[in-house]
Amino acid sequence: MAEYSCLIVEDSPMMRQLLVFALARVRNLRVTEADDGVDGLRKLASARYDIIVTDINMPIMDGLKLVKRVRMDPIHKDTPIIIITTEGSQEDRQRALQLGANAYITKPIQAPQVIATVKELLKID
Amino acid sequence: MTKDRKSGPTGSDAPGPDLKSERDQFLKKFTRGAKLTDDFLREVEQLQDRLRDLEAENAGLRAKVEADEAIRELLGKIERLETEKRELLNRYHRVEEVNSEFTARVQEVESEFANLANLFVASNQLHSSLSPRGVTRRIKEVLAQLVGAERYCMYLANQDNTELVPIAYEGVAGSALTPVKISDSELGQALLKGAASVSDHDPTAGTVQRPAAIIPLSVDEKTVGVIAIFSTLAQKKRFDTVDFELFKLLGQHAAAALVSASLFAHTDRKLPGLEAFLDLSV
Repeated sequence: MAEYSCLIVEDSPMMRQLLVFALARVRNLRVTEADDGVDGLRKLASARYDIIVTDINMPIMDGLKLVKRVRMDPIHKDTPIIIITTEGSQEDRQRALQLGANAYITKPIQAPQVIATVKELLKID
Repeated sequence: MTKDRKSGPTGSDAPGPDLKSERDQFLKKFTRGAKLTDDFLREVEQLQDRLRDLEAENAGLRAKVEADEAIRELLGKIERLETEKRELLNRYHRVEEVNSEFTARVQEVESEFANLANLFVASNQLHSSLSPRGVTRRIKEVLAQLVGAERYCMYLANQDNTELVPIAYEGVAGSALTPVKISDSELGQALLKGAASVSDHDPTAGTVQRPAAIIPLSVDEKTVGVIAIFSTLAQKKRFDTVDFELFKLLGQHAAAALVSASLFAHTDRKLPGLEAFLDLSV
C-alpha cells in the first residue's frame, strides 16, 4: 500500500497538534511539522512531500509566499497545497487559489473537512 | 404342359374351346388379381402415406408435449428466480440500510473524535505553560483558533469583587474596554450565576455591549472572572456542541492555569521542593 507524506506549516503549536491529530486518521500518511514558511522550505528542500498544509498568517514567511516559492520548486511545483486561514472572504480564497493553492479551509477547522480534503487531493479512499 | 397345349389333340395351334374359356377365365382372374394387386399396392401406399403422416403427427405431438413440459419447467424456473430476486433485493435493501446506518455512525464517531481532539489539545495547551503571558496567549489561541472568536476580552474580578477588569483582549481597542461593575452588567450577572451565557443573535454581529457569549472562569469552585466573546469570525455563524464543551473547559481550566502560572512567577519560577508534596496522602 502506498505511503504518503504531508508537511504541516503552522506557527501555532496548538493548531499543529490539532492538524496532526486530524491527519493521524488518514491511513499511511506520515506527517512532518514546520514552524513557519522558512522552516517549511527547509524541510521541502530535504525531502519530497505528497501534500502541504499551510497556514497563511505566520511570522518570517507567510503561507502565500510559501505557496509562490513551492510553485517555483521543480520537485514540488505540482504538490497539492491546502491553505488554512482565519480569513474567510471570497477575495482571500481567490487570491490563494490564484497563487497556486489547491484548496482553502477556514478556521476554526473541522477535522473531518481537513481529512476529506487531504484524501481528495491525494486521491485516496 | 405348354408343349401339350401347343400340340393339342386337334393338332391345331388354336386353343380348344375349353382351353380358351379356361384361358379367358384365367385372364379374367389374372386381370382381377392384377387389379386387386394394384388396389392392394395403392392401399399399401396410402397406408404408408397415412402412417408417415401419423408418425409425423405423433412426432409433432410429442414435441409439443415436450415443449409444454419445457415451458412449464421454464415458468417454474422463472418463478423461482423471481422469488430469489425478491429475496436478494430485500437483502440488498437491508444491507443498504445497515450500510447507511454504519456510515452515519462512522461520521458521528469521527465528529466525536474531532471534538475530543479539540478538547484534548485545548486542555493540553492551557497547561503547557507556566508563565502568565504564555497561559494568556494560549487562552487567546483557544478562543481564536478553536472557537473562532474574532473580538474578545478576558476580565478578572477585583479584590473586593465589585468590578471586572479587562486583562487581555483581541480585536478591540484597549480604550474601548473599561472596568465593568459586577452588580449591574451582563458580564457581572454571568459571573454571579457562574453559568455561561450565549446570545440568541448572530454571533458574528455581537458587540462589546451585547457579547455573543460570556464564559465564567472558576478556580476551586469560585468564579473569579469571565471571558466575553464579543463577536466571531465571519464564517462562524453559530456555536456548536464542541464550542459549549470548550467554554466549559475554559471556565474550569483557564483561570486555574493562570493562577498557577502567576504563583509560579511569584516564586521566581522555582519549583516547590519535595517537602511540599510529602503530606499529600488522602
